[in-house]
Amino acid sequence: MANCRQNLTRPPVTGSGDPNTLHIYTWANYSDDGLIAAFTERTGIRVVVDIFDSNEIMQTKMRAGGGAAYSILYPSDYVVSEMVGDGLLSAIDHSRLVGLENLKKQWQNPTYDPGNAHSVPFNWGTTGLLYNRDVTPGSPEDWIFLWDNQDALSRRITLLDDMRETLGVALKVLGYSYNTTDPAQIEAAYGKLRELQPHIAAFKTTGFENEILAGDLSISMAYSSDAIALTLEDERLDYVIPASGTSLWTDTLAIPTSAPNVDAAYQWINFLLEPEVAKAAVERLLFATANQAAFDLLPDEIRNNDQLYPPDEVLDRSEGIQSIDTASNDLFDRFWTEITSA
Amino acid sequence: MAESPLPSSPAPDWGSHLAQTLAPQRWLGPVAMLGPSGLWLFLLLVIPTLLILEISLVPGLRLGQPAGGYGLGNYLQILEPVYLRVMGRSLAFALGSTLLCLGLGFPVAYWLALMSPKPWRNLLVVAFILPLWTSSLLRAYAWTTILRPSGVLNTLFGVLGLPSQTWLNTPTAVLIGLAYSFLPYMVLILYASLEKLDTRLLEAAADLGANPQQRFWKITVPQTLPGIAAGCLLVFIAALGDFVVPTLLGGASSMNISRLIYNQFLGPTRAWGFGSALSMVLILAVSLAIALLLKYGDRSTVTETSQ
Repeated sequence: MANCRQNLTRPPVTGSGDPNTLHIYTWANYSDDGLIAAFTERTGIRVVVDIFDSNEIMQTKMRAGGGAAYSILYPSDYVVSEMVGDGLLSAIDHSRLVGLENLKKQWQNPTYDPGNAHSVPFNWGTTGLLYNRDVTPGSPEDWIFLWDNQDALSRRITLLDDMRETLGVALKVLGYSYNTTDPAQIEAAYGKLRELQPHIAAFKTTGFENEILAGDLSISMAYSSDAIALTLEDERLDYVIPASGTSLWTDTLAIPTSAPNVDAAYQWINFLLEPEVAKAAVERLLFATANQAAFDLLPDEIRNNDQLYPPDEVLDRSEGIQSIDTASNDLFDRFWTEITSA
Repeated sequence: MAESPLPSSPAPDWGSHLAQTLAPQRWLGPVAMLGPSGLWLFLLLVIPTLLILEISLVPGLRLGQPAGGYGLGNYLQILEPVYLRVMGRSLAFALGSTLLCLGLGFPVAYWLALMSPKPWRNLLVVAFILPLWTSSLLRAYAWTTILRPSGVLNTLFGVLGLPSQTWLNTPTAVLIGLAYSFLPYMVLILYASLEKLDTRLLEAAADLGANPQQRFWKITVPQTLPGIAAGCLLVFIAALGDFVVPTLLGGASSMNISRLIYNQFLGPTRAWGFGSALSMVLILAVSLAIALLLKYGDRSTVTETSQ
C-alpha cells in the first residue's frame, strides 16, 4: 500500500495479447461494421471496438492501467502532446506506414505533434452551434448570439461538457485566444460565461440529440462530426460555424506504449490511410478527412459542403486547442468548477 | 499486564479450555463459513477504502504527476465556498427527497398494511416494488421524457388547461427523480413496521374517547417510529450519494457531491487526491447515517424487507 502513490504515476506495463485480435479505443461513430468487416477480410484480424466520450476518460483509463488491451487509440490534438509528455504513446515508425504523404498539407507537420512523430491525423472538424429553426429566434451567426438572446433562449441551450472548449467560447467572444494563459483573460471569460450560466439547461457532449429534434432545446454547442449527421436527419436542424472563428480539432490514430499488438495497429493505420478506404468511410460516417487523396475521390456535394469543409477564411480565424501549463490549466479548472457548480 | 491467575481457575483447567477452543473442529466450521465473505470484504472493501484514505492525504495528487508529501490540504480545499455549496446542495437533495418519500410513502404503507383487502395485500406490495426490477438509469431516462418541455407531463397539463412547466434540468426534477427512485424502499420499510402495529391499542384508545387524530399521533406514530427512522435514514443514505438522477435530470443546476467526485477522477484536472478526500467525506457521512440507523432504526424491518 505504501507504494500506491508511485504506482499511480507510472505508465502501465506492456501487455501481451492475441495476435489475431486488435482492440481499438475510439469515439462513437468513427468506425462502422463495414469498415471493420473490410479490415478483417483483408487481414484476418478480428477488431474489438470500445467507445469513449471524452479524452479525459480515455487518458485516465490508459494511465490507471485499465487500457492494456488497446493497440490503437484516437486521442485529440492537444491530448497527443499531453500523452507523449506522460510517456503513454509510442513513437510511430514512419517506415512501416504507406500513404502518409497523402495527408493534407496542414497535417504534414502539426503543432501538437511535430512531424507526426507519435500520431497519424485521422479526421478533423470544428465546434459550432447546432440549432432547431422552429424554436430559435433568428439564425445564429456567431457565438455572441447566445448572449444577445439569452432570455428568449433561456434553459433551451446546452454547451459542451468540455472545460477548454466551453470557456474557450467565452474567451473568443471577448476577443482572446482559446490558448491564453493570462489569468486576467481567463477570469474575464469566467465572468462572461457566468452571465450565461443561469440560462443554460445542461453541459452535455452527447445526449442532446433527441431534445433538440423535439424542439425542447433551441441551440446546442456541438462538434461538427456529431452535428452535421443530425442536420441531414432533420431539415429543421442547421449547423453554423461561428463567424468570429472557433476551435479546430484533429482526432488522431496513436499506438499506446502498452499496446499488445503493435503489428495489427500498423495494419489498421495503413488500412485507414488508403484513399479508397478513407473515402468510403467518410461517405458513410460524414467526418472531414485529413487525407488529401481520399478528399479528391469524394463526390462534389461532400467536397463542397461548407459545414464539413469550411472555407479558408473561416479556418484562418480559428485555432486549435493546445496543451497549456499546469498552473493555467488549474485556473481553467477552478473557474470551470465554479461555473458547473453554480 | 495482569497475569495473576485466579485461585478459583487453576492453570491446567485454563490450558485444557484453550486447547478445546483451538481444536480444529471448533474453529474450522466458522472459518470455512465466514472466510470467503470475510476475504471478499477485506479485499474489495477494506483495502480499497484504506487506499482512498491514503490518496486523500496527499495534497494536490494528480494522476501522472509526482506525488508530494502527506498533509490535509485536500480536506481544507473542501472548505472553499464553491465546494461547500455543492455539499449543501447534496444535503438539501437528500433531506428533500427523504421528506417527500415519507410524506408520499406513509399513507401508501398505511393503506397497504391496515386497509387494503387482505387477499390482495401481497400482490399490491409486489406491484409497488415492481419498478425496482428495472435499471435506475432507465427510470431516470423515462423521467426526462416525462418532464421535458414537450413531454408527457406538459401534454397532460395542456389538456387540463394548466400552465406548462420547465422542470427538466432544475433541482425540482432532481427531487422528483430521487423521491421516485427511493419511494419503494420507504414504503416497504414502513409497511413492515405498520403491519406489526398492535391494533388493539387503537381500539382501546377509541373506546376511551380518543379521536382519530389523537390515535394517529399518540399510538400509530410512536409505535412505528423505529420504522420511520429506518426508512428515512435508508432513503437519505441512498439519495446523498446518488449520481444517475442529478446527472440526467438536473442539468447545469445540480452539481452534487457524487458528480463532483466523478469530475475529479475523470475530468480535465484528474485531481485524484481531492476526489479521494471528497469520497472520504461522503463515506463518513454515510457511515454516520448507518450508525444512526443501527441505533435508532427498527433493524428488524430493514432486514425483513431486504430479504
